[in-house]
Amino acid sequence: MLPIESVQRILAAALRNGGDLAELYLENVENLRLTLDDQRLEGATQGNDIGGGVRVFYGNTAAYAYTDDLSESALIEAAHAAAAAARGTNKPRIAINLTKTPSALDFPVQRSFADMRTADKAAILRQMDQAGRRYSPYITQVGAGYNQTSRRVWIFNSDGLWVEDDREILEFTVNVVARRGETIQAMRTGLGGQMGLELLASKDPVAMTVDAAESAVRMLDARPAPAGEMPVVISNGWGGVLFHEACGHCMEADFITRGGSAYGDLVGQQVGPDFLTAVDDGTLPGRRGSLRFDDEGTPSQHTVLIENGILKEYMWDLTEARRMGRASTGNGRRESFRHMPMPRMTNTFIAAGPHDPEEIIRATKKGFYAKKLGGGQVEIGRGDYVFAVTEGYLIEDGKLTAPVQGATLVGNGPESLRQIDMIGTDFDLDPGVGTCGKGQGAKVSVGQPTVRIPKLTVGGTERAIAGVMG
Amino acid sequence: MDYLQIAHDVVKAASASGVEAEAYIAVGNETQIQVRQAEVEKLSYAGSKGLGVRVIRDGKMGYAHTSDFSPASLTKTVEAALTLAEIADADPNRGLPDPKPLRGEDLAIYDPSMLAASAEEKVAFQKAVEVAAFAYDPRVKVSNMNSYIDAVNQVFLVNSKGFAGSYQSTFAGGYIMVMAVDGSDRAVGFGLQVARSLNGLDAQKIGREAGEQAVKLLGGRPVPTQTATVVYTPFAASGLLGALSRALTAEAMQRQRSFLQDKLGETVASDVVTLLDNGRLPGGLASRPFDDEGNPTSATRLIDEGVFQAVLYDEYTARKVGAQSTGNASRDGHSAAPRLAASNFYIQPGQQTPEEVIAGVEKGLYVVNTMNTHSINPVSGDYSVSAQGFWIENGKITHPVNNVTIALPLSQLLKNVQGVGNDLTFLPFAGAIGSPTIRVDGVMIGGSE
Repeated sequence: MLPIESVQRILAAALRNGGDLAELYLENVENLRLTLDDQRLEGATQGNDIGGGVRVFYGNTAAYAYTDDLSESALIEAAHAAAAAARGTNKPRIAINLTKTPSALDFPVQRSFADMRTADKAAILRQMDQAGRRYSPYITQVGAGYNQTSRRVWIFNSDGLWVEDDREILEFTVNVVARRGETIQAMRTGLGGQMGLELLASKDPVAMTVDAAESAVRMLDARPAPAGEMPVVISNGWGGVLFHEACGHCMEADFITRGGSAYGDLVGQQVGPDFLTAVDDGTLPGRRGSLRFDDEGTPSQHTVLIENGILKEYMWDLTEARRMGRASTGNGRRESFRHMPMPRMTNTFIAAGPHDPEEIIRATKKGFYAKKLGGGQVEIGRGDYVFAVTEGYLIEDGKLTAPVQGATLVGNGPESLRQIDMIGTDFDLDPGVGTCGKGQGAKVSVGQPTVRIPKLTVGGTERAIAGVMG
Repeated sequence: MDYLQIAHDVVKAASASGVEAEAYIAVGNETQIQVRQAEVEKLSYAGSKGLGVRVIRDGKMGYAHTSDFSPASLTKTVEAALTLAEIADADPNRGLPDPKPLRGEDLAIYDPSMLAASAEEKVAFQKAVEVAAFAYDPRVKVSNMNSYIDAVNQVFLVNSKGFAGSYQSTFAGGYIMVMAVDGSDRAVGFGLQVARSLNGLDAQKIGREAGEQAVKLLGGRPVPTQTATVVYTPFAASGLLGALSRALTAEAMQRQRSFLQDKLGETVASDVVTLLDNGRLPGGLASRPFDDEGNPTSATRLIDEGVFQAVLYDEYTARKVGAQSTGNASRDGHSAAPRLAASNFYIQPGQQTPEEVIAGVEKGLYVVNTMNTHSINPVSGDYSVSAQGFWIENGKITHPVNNVTIALPLSQLLKNVQGVGNDLTFLPFAGAIGSPTIRVDGVMIGGSE
């Protein structure tokens, strides 16, 4: 991208007022997005976003300046801006040796994005639209999207670091609307991964659309959700978003080192049942949250967060790790060169447990089954969380019965985790379109087996009738 | 760089092949500062720019963008947009707007004093926010987020129909989230203020509000599941209004994505509800002289004393039904074609003070914060969020409440609005959402038991 001598000069310029460490991050993102709505392929967008940022660490402060001009002179100007505030604890450094380190991880792309004409990609969206509408006369609208991103990053720092990463992300999304009389239901879903078009060999966006249409039509018969406390069973796969939000965020080091997290100072403590193990793993091939190196150049790793119910580790970026005099866990991520890195999750999940998933439902006399969760949110300090359930069912006498709409799950992350009384053997990861928002967007995966929380508040519009309550 | 000239050149190059063409350039300078326990934790400075090219050939649209303004890159971007237009399906209503006269009044969106503020002043400001929060009470101990952001932005828009325009705006905001700790109990409070310049921000107010809220929420507990009145602060109401704004666009109507489908002309809310969108509100966070495809911005009365009167239009949705654009085409930066969205979207304030609204409630929940408002569904009208606040008995606040849900279909919620305060406040969400304190009766509160 830039001659290595330029990189050395930029890093030296960043340290001209001293400072502990200087870093240069360069990025080139190419994106193609196709959107179909209202039976028309109406938007086709292609873009190229390039830029770079220079970061200077001094003490516990990091100064950053970025630019979308990748000339050496513009980056040196950014380096000077970042250096301006640095208080010299070290002498300026002139000679910086950089050694390129290859990744030990292999994330092969078997079929490149260029291997299919844009028109043929658009044709898949048209097939999705037709299949969704053909499913039922109640389907009144289908929106379908195709999104491919190639993100190439180069990271250098004054400790001699030189790494590169290449991230190919593919996704298909769909949203369908079903309407019968005054009742309207909307369902959205998607599939994708960190891979090329080989995704299509194993996953079918058209079948996914039919599934979404089926869910939306089924939900036309949904009853209003009950309100109150009851046992809640959460489905495998995407259901892991609950752990991501309610517990994962509370294990990100920036909240931990501030004393601002519900999981602070709990390493070594029992935080869940002894059959609970949870992991953040950025090394999984094909997964949306995977990275060869994080956005600070730290190799991605498999981090056991909770093992047999005991809290083992938090997720660290360089800033927080430096503050505590330890190593990063490879969780320093940024949305783009316009953002400073912060601790973020990669692929985060609860591992398989001992219980038969069917038995988990059977063992629940009266309760609520959350099949599809929508978005969620957590308040880190207390660990209070909330989730929308886009597809949910009542559990009555150990069986799934009526679909219910408009339910919300509300609880406290650490408390819910402690309460988990059953974890299924049916571990799965999500379909691969998750994006986590923490001021910046980050592509992530979540996962879990079927999980039961014996007492959780369900927020609906119906007062729970005797018969429904656990 | 002469950005307007670049936009003209790009339009000229693209339209040479007989298409309608538009160039949008956004240029910004941004500063971000994060302070932690009186120490600067993160500082970020940047200048950035981006170009988006939209072309329409026979009703087929293509869009391409770049942050690289070299001649080679600009040529490549124009070519990409032209190629992509081949792929789209033709839609006779796709077209760029004809230039229309723009009114020239000062929208008060550019404050030159913003440019004079030094980095030291900004750091000092955000340190003062944290000091004010901690000073409120010794139990206020942690700031999980304490950040300042400002920006100077310029927009340049040119199209092949003869439109050419530009404007600049400034923005400054301070935000803090703190935690109060009392034994094993913890509660969170936040303060937020946005303005057109650092001069318009009050560090004491932001910090004090955050500290006060956190301390007052200590000891919160759920209440039993029941149906009761809910009083929303302007902040708490903003999430609800954001979802509502998405149901009130012509696109939502035309594409069957609104719970208010087919309800135009009907009474959809109680008569205390008047809902407006005004892209020309002086100083408004979403105010601008023309929208993101060059139509003049305007004021639209969407719901008038409970009656659903109008929806928001951009050029495309207006052409589709032979209406006029309301000037609501909006972009998230240069990397996507404009879409239809609210601007300054707000409930018209009433006469009562917030205290008077609360005093009139026999039994209910005063909500200061809701979570997961992005899951409110403007299509089905499902509304169920979690809430934090205070219990009200006989017009008086009794104790803090947390971990409850509040739920009601949006169609019913609008009809159950029984009070509107006089304290209209705007927040920088989904354009700019404004609400006074509002009272809604008959809301299902999900809690303990």
